[in-house]
Amino acid sequence: MTTATIMENQSESEARGEVVLRVIGLSKRFGALDAVKGISLELRRGEVFGFLGPNGAGKSTTVGMILGLITPTAGSIELFGVKQNGNRWAALRRIGAIVEEPAFYPYLSGWDNLEVLTRSIGGIPKSKITEVLERVNLLDRAKDQYGHYSMGMKQRLGIASTLLRDPELIILDEPTNGLDPAGTKEIRDLIPRLAHESRAVMLCSHLLHEVEMVCQNVAIIKQGTIIANAPIKDLLSHGNRLQIRVENMEQAASILGALPWVKSVKREGEFLMIDVPPDRGASVNHALAENGLFASELINSASSLESVFLQLTGGASGD
Amino acid sequence: MTNTIYTVKTSPFSGLGRMIGAELFKLRKRTMTKVLILILVGIITLVNFLLLAISKVDLPGGGPGMGNIRDMLGLPSAIPFALAMISSFGSALAIIMAANSIGNEYNWKTIRTALISSESRFKFLTTKLVSLTALVLAGMLIGVVAGFAVGMITTAIGGYSFNFGFATGSYFWEQFLQFWRTFYVIMPYALLGFLMAIVGRSAMPGIATGIGVQFLESIITMFMVLAGGWIAKVPNFLLSANVNAITSLNDLPQGFGMGDTSNALEAAPSIPHAFITLGIYSLVFLALGYYFFKKRDVTG
Repeated sequence: MTTATIMENQSESEARGEVVLRVIGLSKRFGALDAVKGISLELRRGEVFGFLGPNGAGKSTTVGMILGLITPTAGSIELFGVKQNGNRWAALRRIGAIVEEPAFYPYLSGWDNLEVLTRSIGGIPKSKITEVLERVNLLDRAKDQYGHYSMGMKQRLGIASTLLRDPELIILDEPTNGLDPAGTKEIRDLIPRLAHESRAVMLCSHLLHEVEMVCQNVAIIKQGTIIANAPIKDLLSHGNRLQIRVENMEQAASILGALPWVKSVKREGEFLMIDVPPDRGASVNHALAENGLFASELINSASSLESVFLQLTGGASGD
Repeated sequence: MTNTIYTVKTSPFSGLGRMIGAELFKLRKRTMTKVLILILVGIITLVNFLLLAISKVDLPGGGPGMGNIRDMLGLPSAIPFALAMISSFGSALAIIMAANSIGNEYNWKTIRTALISSESRFKFLTTKLVSLTALVLAGMLIGVVAGFAVGMITTAIGGYSFNFGFATGSYFWEQFLQFWRTFYVIMPYALLGFLMAIVGRSAMPGIATGIGVQFLESIITMFMVLAGGWIAKVPNFLLSANVNAITSLNDLPQGFGMGDTSNALEAAPSIPHAFITLGIYSLVFLALGYYFFKKRDVTG
């Protein structure tokens, strides 16, 4: 291992985990509407952070405030350890973002659109355009007019634009929207790679399955309030259920309902659904057997992010 | 991977040059820019040829204005006449250009991408205005050159004299001044279009308000003059009367200068009054544009 590599690895390990975005008590009021109500978030280098919420929950408003497009009514935003007041260009230069949807000049080619950005941002060599277009597999269509791009190509160009400035924080809003399954997989594979490159990625998506696959931490926002903010594995373990088939359901429900670590027992068709910690399967079986009841089926039904999301948001559509 | 951090100097005016470069790059690539300039050249050409056709009509008694029309077709009038057309028709095109410049950023939703790629909102808007100014000046210059070229053609076709005796230093100085006067009278309309596109977050409110004011104001002004009393003096503080006062300095025959208001107004505003009034309008539209753009949230 060369000295240079050792130093690089050291600096990377030091960099990993550093807080790149900290939002404290952030609020936004539009007239009588409280769009965002005192939310707090933290995003670390190397992390893929899922930001979920139903339509109109306040996700885009929050992202807008982080990027300086919307002025907060209250609260503070820290980017790369610096509290943001007024002009935040120094921080914005280190952020790549797609807000709501990729938006480019329809009369320019994909290449020209990126050239406009490199000229505007400054200090980015033109070779970077080729590099980022190659990375999102759009180089062969780079000279086509953006207005003629498919939704998937627009998304790719959007992601390419976020990579232009070699960002340390990437904010992506529905990055796989309009992509075909192969394209979706490519982007899904790309996102963790970006995080491994010592970047932080904030992923706003309504594709909960996708978030579940790529994110380590998730915040769910509803009506401007964060209702869950935790590592994804913690969130999923909360909704863990045991699915049991047993002959005498009433008796079994009564026995299990009396156990202190059982949160709830519910009958669903031919099954009893029991809300218990994931490691209590054997204890449930034991309790039933002690009372002469024997389960013919006992399935550990791990909850999905979707079920947690629907449970927390009261069934609102995810967006 | 270690991220590369590209370094850029930051100061109140740093980055403006490269941002203007990016804006001009967009404008250069845009078909609409070329179409608007082509329309201006087309109108100047069309009007000149219409005048040529009219000048060739043999009316009984000669027609009282025929002499003036023939004068307009002569080379000395080619530049001032082109500038007169630019001040009226060119204003409308400048309004369209100004409103599109900022309004389409909202229409295409590129405003968000543009703002997070710009050093500040102030610099972003300044970039737009500087580029717009450059484009308006370039368009005016093209219009003048086109006007002179068409003047040569109509002179040749009409069989008029190719006497360049008029081309003295004072003539060119006067045309130079008229060029800048024309630019000065275009700016309030263009800035109004720019402001309203910001307020309406779209190109259309800017175009509609700018062109609406340009054309409706003269009608409203006429009614005000007819009303008499103090109301008749109100137009002196609006745009069109002051624009007309300045454009009438082009020394063209009555009715061709696009600025002769002697029939419409009891007393046209003085030249200093016109300059000050239009300057105030331009500054107010500009300041309001910056204020709204800086203050408002970018949503939707």
